[in-house]
Amino acid sequence: MRRELTMWLVAVVAVALLPLAIGSDRYFMQLANVMLVFVALAVSWDVVARTGQLSLAHGAFFGVGAYTVALAHKYGAIPPLVGLALAVLVGTGVALALGAVTLRLRGIYFAIATLAFGEVLRTVALQVPDVTGGTIGISMPPLFEGDRVASYYVIGAIALVAVALSLTIRYTRWHYAVTALRTNEAVAAAMGVPVVRTKVLAFTTSAVIATLAGAYYMPFITHTDPNDAFEVSRSVAALAFPIFGGIYTTVGPVIGTLVLRSLEEYLRVTPPWKEGYQVVYGAVIVLAVLFIPRGLVGVLQRLRP
Amino acid sequence: MEALPQTLLFGILRSGLYALTALGLAISLGVIGIVNFAHGEFVMLGAYLGFWTYLALSGPLGVGPAVSPLVLVLGIPLSAAVMFFVGRGLFRTTLRPLLPRPELDQMLLTFGLGILIQNLVSIVLSPQAQDANIPWRFELLQLPGGTLAVTYARVAAFVVSLVLVAGTYVVLAWTPLGKQMRAVAQNRLGAMVIGIDVHHVYGVAFGLSLALAAAAGVTLIFQTQVSPFLGLATILKAFSIVVLAGLGNLFAVVWASLLLGLSEQFVSQYVPDGSALRDGLFFLIIFVVLLLRPSGLGRAR
Repeated sequence: MRRELTMWLVAVVAVALLPLAIGSDRYFMQLANVMLVFVALAVSWDVVARTGQLSLAHGAFFGVGAYTVALAHKYGAIPPLVGLALAVLVGTGVALALGAVTLRLRGIYFAIATLAFGEVLRTVALQVPDVTGGTIGISMPPLFEGDRVASYYVIGAIALVAVALSLTIRYTRWHYAVTALRTNEAVAAAMGVPVVRTKVLAFTTSAVIATLAGAYYMPFITHTDPNDAFEVSRSVAALAFPIFGGIYTTVGPVIGTLVLRSLEEYLRVTPPWKEGYQVVYGAVIVLAVLFIPRGLVGVLQRLRP
Repeated sequence: MEALPQTLLFGILRSGLYALTALGLAISLGVIGIVNFAHGEFVMLGAYLGFWTYLALSGPLGVGPAVSPLVLVLGIPLSAAVMFFVGRGLFRTTLRPLLPRPELDQMLLTFGLGILIQNLVSIVLSPQAQDANIPWRFELLQLPGGTLAVTYARVAAFVVSLVLVAGTYVVLAWTPLGKQMRAVAQNRLGAMVIGIDVHHVYGVAFGLSLALAAAAGVTLIFQTQVSPFLGLATILKAFSIVVLAGLGNLFAVVWASLLLGLSEQFVSQYVPDGSALRDGLFFLIIFVVLLLRPSGLGRAR
């Protein structure tokens, strides 16, 4: 435990000092921001996975956050940082409602409902262009007048919350609760784990982080629209990264994000991949589930003498 | 008042293809216990197979209105057969090793498979939607007795779906293999005890599920274009039908499809600006069913 915490401390300091090295380079600062957005998404997705549940809604909560900030600015001229606080409230409410209904039942219901959730938000948002801006979407002025170093620390804080949550679950009695839950729900219940409450709590905290990531991202890139906000590919990324890096760990999702998001950065501009770059995510998910169910972290652990 | 019979008719026509799509999903879920998130992508692959069959054959045979429906229908057994064997192969190589593993892994696999197929098709072919340009797509069929008119395409898609769904039920109800599938769906262990080769039945059920998906795909191009991304919209409604019917309840799929088709049609007809609500209706159904009656419409069997 101490070893892992020391490692994280070093990592946090390194991330905090990174702008000293690349702060003047707009492209790399942009990339660093985006990386942290996906670190928050991937780490928080893994928290839900630890309870044995498949969330296909992390991209959708990201969109909920983006639209919360965008609509708060459009209708109430509310500044983006206040919008972040608002996004916490909205995210909590939506996740509680969705979780309370679906997490009482078998896991497949939750997975189906979360997949449907994002798609229904997208289609309905497209049907009410007066509010959402339709396919054109909504724009707003950039966070901190476009100062990417300042905004880097905001998303850094959000990612840190995600990591802290993940580590807390790993090193407290929650670890035993969620592991028991994942292995066998009936046995966990018999041992006294509050099954539904644990699942709802894990999902809600995790979804709030995804909402925050979206609420941050929207004013960072200054624009959102229903197709972008609720696109499935973000939910795919949120689960492909942890699976590749190492599911049920904290460091796995981070490693997965760094490797796969860098690869995406390259593929997006390289024919014949371009928009089809997601084929890599599909292949990674399938191959990892079949051959390296513990991800890169698992492989490294096995190699270590 | 004239709107009422038309709403009913369109609602029923709409539900035919829904039932065909949902039945395949219900079989893999009911018999094997696998949530196939890639089902929509198999519908899409079936649609492409039907599309190519149509293009290849409609040239030499001529695309006269009398011939082209037959050519299109010919694509169904062809693509269904291909997808049946794809399904058995996929089951043996990917799903079967995962059966002892947690449900999460199985769902991740089918979800990943769906993403893989969708984007592979988009890279290899084209992300653009393609049109079969079926000459009779928009031709109207005047119903006897008056004011109602529907496109041939809608009626044809409904009739084909009806025949295939009915045929599948016949197989499930009366053939030995169908009985074995239902036995496995009801009680895995019991089926094993009485000597059913459960894994063989799983493989066949998955093949059948994909064959139905392929048939639904071909039927889909009666009315719309083919695109690598048609899977998601298709599968979500199918999921809502399966949830409404109750997991593993293969026979309630028809009633659930009718309910979805009719309520969608009624909402878009009678609710002002109902199109947003119509497109979100399937989610409302999932949500309300899970809230009030998680076991679904039918009795558990």
